[in-house]
Amino acid sequence: MSRRQNKRITLISLLVLAGAFLGIWFAEGVGEGHYRLGDSMALFSPSLLSSTERTILLKLRLPRVVLSFMVGGGLSVCGAVLQGIFQNPLVDPYVLGVSSGAALGAVIAILGHIYFGLFTVPLFAFLMAMLTTFLVFRLSLVGKKIPLEVLLLAGIAMGFLFSAFISLGMFVAGENLHQVVFWTMGGFWGRGWPEVKMVSPFFAVGIPFLLSFTRELNTFLLGENVAKSLGVDVERVKRWLILAVSLVVAACVSVSGVIGFVGLLVPHILRLLGYQDHRVLLPLSLLLGGMVLLFADTLARTILYPVELPVGIVMSILGSPFFIYLLRRKKRET
Amino acid sequence: MSRYLLVENLGFRYDTVKVLRNVNFALEKGAFMGIIGPNGSGKSTLLYLLAGILPLQEGKVVLSGQDLRRYSRVEWARKVAIVFQEIPPRINLSCLEVVMMGRFPYLRKWRRESEDDERAVQWAMEVTHTWLFAERNFSELSGGEKQRVMIARALAQEPELLLLDEPTSHLDVLHQLEVMRILLHLREQGITILGVFHDVNAVAQFCHEILLLKRGSVLEFGPVERVMTREKITELLGVEFLESTHPVSLRPFFMPLEIRKKEPKGIQVHLICGGGQGVPFMKRLLEEGFSLSVGIVNRLDSDEEFAIRCKIPVVQEAPFSSFAPETLQKAQELARNAHFVLVVPTYWGQGNLLNLELARTLLKEGKRVFLFKAGFDSRFDYTGGEAIIQLVELQKHGAQVVEDVDEFLALVHNG
Repeated sequence: MSRRQNKRITLISLLVLAGAFLGIWFAEGVGEGHYRLGDSMALFSPSLLSSTERTILLKLRLPRVVLSFMVGGGLSVCGAVLQGIFQNPLVDPYVLGVSSGAALGAVIAILGHIYFGLFTVPLFAFLMAMLTTFLVFRLSLVGKKIPLEVLLLAGIAMGFLFSAFISLGMFVAGENLHQVVFWTMGGFWGRGWPEVKMVSPFFAVGIPFLLSFTRELNTFLLGENVAKSLGVDVERVKRWLILAVSLVVAACVSVSGVIGFVGLLVPHILRLLGYQDHRVLLPLSLLLGGMVLLFADTLARTILYPVELPVGIVMSILGSPFFIYLLRRKKRET
Repeated sequence: MSRYLLVENLGFRYDTVKVLRNVNFALEKGAFMGIIGPNGSGKSTLLYLLAGILPLQEGKVVLSGQDLRRYSRVEWARKVAIVFQEIPPRINLSCLEVVMMGRFPYLRKWRRESEDDERAVQWAMEVTHTWLFAERNFSELSGGEKQRVMIARALAQEPELLLLDEPTSHLDVLHQLEVMRILLHLREQGITILGVFHDVNAVAQFCHEILLLKRGSVLEFGPVERVMTREKITELLGVEFLESTHPVSLRPFFMPLEIRKKEPKGIQVHLICGGGQGVPFMKRLLEEGFSLSVGIVNRLDSDEEFAIRCKIPVVQEAPFSSFAPETLQKAQELARNAHFVLVVPTYWGQGNLLNLELARTLLKEGKRVFLFKAGFDSRFDYTGGEAIIQLVELQKHGAQVVEDVDEFLALVHNG
């Protein structure tokens, strides 16, 4: 990497990092209770806070901030990795059927009134997500290879099937309809430290694992044959990455429901800005994705206060026009 | 075996389709081998097997005395690199970063590139004349520049064996030659080169060994001088070729035969020519679908050479010699089935005057003989007027005089 590019990358990383901190500070500072923005600085010296303040800032808002950041970052990294594996810009973290599987799992738990603890619904969602991914993966395995078209179609077909079941569930849901709808729209309402704890192990293992494959992903840019000739065991790398992505995405979805946009578009925004090298793209996706979802969640919970909007709606309304603008500008340049 | 690269009984099938069978060859270190063959002959499959992109099914590949199966993927990638015909689209990286990807087999996870890596990349880019635009974005380059960067990427692997799959087919002549020059330079540095080329003449010019591959099997393997003959190339590619010698490099040079024949008419024409005057007539008449015979002509006359190349039956006389009566006999034999006889305007001397006697004999036999007006020009006559007299004589005895070939064709068409 040249020195000039190094400088640029450092700069953008610092910017994104600063944005992330600003987001955390902002998210902590606004909402119910009307603390001034400045008060959120008091986070760093909790002894100054009253016990109510401490409860609101540390037990209600902070876990939400952390969780939305993790989910946003996780989905973006996973999207970037899958787009890299398949060399296809239309791939998002949910192509493997994770989202529909998770939603169906949640719906089963909610409507079946299955309850054996706080984690019942997320656990069901997680297990179904993994099961679906496994099914889609098995279905699309031709010999030892996974052809992209087959995988995409298998994922879509599975998605349709499960969506039908989910719709059926909604049709008969009655008083549980709200809960079911939450799963299909996604959000962080009522999420706290337990969910953060649940997702953390997947993050701690999954994200560094994904980041360790940046060079392999770069060789995919030159085509699979070149990658193979460089000594990359392409099919094995693909399988490991898909497994890791599935775990991280399933973990994210099981606590937040299905949140679109970040996983597909954040990596694209970075690519349009010129970051194609996965060694830069993946870390930046993590930061930018986290930041975007954090801001979106903060807006979602404050903009129509006391009503809380689903975060996916907020993000798509604000993000899509920006993305279209970026796309147009790029097209005009070339 | 002391051979550097040994390929034994290599075979490969995609599902049930057998694309390679029993491929054998051996190369010394520093060899430059070209592979040619028609589309679908298994050329790329052979290269992909050698590059480790496809798994070995049958047979073995031995490099420096060690079996390919005993190398790890990464070890093999440090010895063997491949350049493809296709240039990857949508690369938004600097050329330096693209070339640095060639260092993959040397890099460890989480480690930065070492000075060795940077040195190898710089060498690869200098050899390919791409160091100048190392910092530029790959997508901004021209096709020729991109392909050179892709070669640099392969060279960054520091390979001993470099494989190329039609690396020049998307390039114009200038850039093709530049790539070939780079390859020659690499060979001088001891790198063994093995390339599939679509251009027969590029192989004839630059390669030492050649492998002709047809329907998955080796048709011929050996030094270019021995293997590249007109017959072999014609058999391999299914196109009639002319073989010649490159005027400067003195290597074999092949041209596809460019005469587009009409439906054969089943009409036989005998041409009396010489001094290179007959060539345009032969070409025109072949194109019109006539069957030809030619004679008498001297060897080394360009009329004779053309007739031989185009496989026209011809009666020859020794170079620069007068025609002998026996030769005249042979010519009469040859022309016996001819429907028409054409006496092409040509130079007459004592040596070839016998050709006019041939014409007279054929006329007597009742064949239609045609003369050309231009043939009566005295500047063609080096016999002191005798040739002209004989031509006039022919005309008197019924030979028809025409303006040009077009008039002849019109007469033939109207019966």
